[in-house]
Amino acid sequence: MPVQPWNLDKIIDDIDEFLDAVLDTAGLDLDYEIREGGGDSAELISPDLTVDFSGDDLPQLLDRHAELLLALEHLTLEALKISHDDRYRLLFDADDYRVARIEELRMSAEAAAEKVAKSGRPFHFQPMTSRERRILHLTLRDNKEVMTTSEGMAYGRHTVIYKADKKP
Amino acid sequence: MTTESKIDPIVEMVELIAKALVDNPEGVSVKSVDGDQVRVLELSVDQADLGKVIGKKGRTAKSIRILLGAAGVKHNKRFSLEILEP
Repeated sequence: MPVQPWNLDKIIDDIDEFLDAVLDTAGLDLDYEIREGGGDSAELISPDLTVDFSGDDLPQLLDRHAELLLALEHLTLEALKISHDDRYRLLFDADDYRVARIEELRMSAEAAAEKVAKSGRPFHFQPMTSRERRILHLTLRDNKEVMTTSEGMAYGRHTVIYKADKKP
Repeated sequence: MTTESKIDPIVEMVELIAKALVDNPEGVSVKSVDGDQVRVLELSVDQADLGKVIGKKGRTAKSIRILLGAAGVKHNKRFSLEILEP
């Protein structure tokens, strides 16, 4: 499916309007900057827009695996009625938290793929969000020795790596 | 003497989020019920919009609750969200 160009000005305005109101009423001391693209380190997922937070409440934003950052991202995507296929085009980050997580996932995908290629036995990752599973898939997309799928339902959905000729 | 009722920021927060999520913003109302320890935000939306505020696997409602938790830390209160069945 061809990727439709985004009206970035409109989306930036909508993000601004929603986030400003939410942060203000919540009483959170956070600033953010919206920039196009994702910077070098987010190359793998290449978002169209990155919303980068700073401010005194950053520790709270990143507490418990950044649950507040992810909640704000989710609510913004829902509020802007961004379609499921386009959700990866927007990334919320702070202190490079997400970028570091992407790098961590990329490295574990490569290490696990190497193991699978050697042993021939499939490797099951922990359950992850669709965004995180996507990073595993993207990392190994061009690896001819293995293939990846996602298995399980709901919160148990996780990525599995198979040796290329051994997928059931 | 006129009593000027200031709009509560937490009620406003839940209301503005809910209105952004639903198809019919006019069907959104938020009531704040004060308890000793916890303040309950009761959210009502149109029947057809229930799924919009709950979200797939309940993720949207969970996100609002996480935000309420963070706001609670800032306001020194505990907030809880209840989504009322229409």
